[in-house]
Amino acid sequence: MSVTVRIPTPLRPVTSGQAEVKMEGATVGEVLRKMDAQFQGFGERVLEEDKKNVKRFINVFVNEDSIRDKKDLDTEVKPGDTISILPSIAGGNCSSSACRRGL
Amino acid sequence: MIKIPYSIMREIYDHMESAYPHECCGLMIGTWAEGERVVHAFRKCRNLNTERAHDRYEMDPLCQLKAQKEFAGTPWDIVGIYHSHPDHPSKASQTDTDRAFAGYSYVIVSVQKGIVATAQSWDLNEAEKKFYEEPLIIDGAEGDGK
Repeated sequence: MSVTVRIPTPLRPVTSGQAEVKMEGATVGEVLRKMDAQFQGFGERVLEEDKKNVKRFINVFVNEDSIRDKKDLDTEVKPGDTISILPSIAGGNCSSSACRRGL
Repeated sequence: MIKIPYSIMREIYDHMESAYPHECCGLMIGTWAEGERVVHAFRKCRNLNTERAHDRYEMDPLCQLKAQKEFAGTPWDIVGIYHSHPDHPSKASQTDTDRAFAGYSYVIVSVQKGIVATAQSWDLNEAEKKFYEEPLIIDGAEGDGK
């Protein structure tokens, strides 16, 4: 039995429009690296270059839990779990360079 | 192009006016086909940036998670993001552009002194990393369309 990976709208072009993909794996990292092998361009949008971490502005949840509160890509998954990939949505009128640096 | 029923847009405006002078944000749910997004529902989300809420927002990811789960397996999906610009124009800022993802419509609403003034929708060109304004159609709009 596999885990379900939920794909957000911005990533659908790389999964041929699929909103959900079934994938095997024991950890989030294993599942996401398999996704990268199957869907060209997936890894560069979700994972850092070394593929050892999730990109800063991407959130990944296993069921209701953020993997950043667990073991990041080493977070274990079991059959039937759902991995949700979510773009980190932010912005605002703050536009000066100082403001953008958080000053 | 994005089409939003007036009744939904009015509720989104109410959210923004009640949040003033802080920025607020939410999700627009609907369908997408051939470059046209049609909104059928929306969900208010928390702005997690409480320190700089007057000029920044950071959407609570649990809001996205909940909506993604709620609409999984239905024809509806998250098609856009809305947020307010208190006392600033409804143009996408550099911060908005830096943090944007192609594939969503970004509806930005200017709220001047607590009252909604203008609304514009923006679509990111990923290759150029630049926002382009897209037509925002408010279906059944009353008066001046606000």
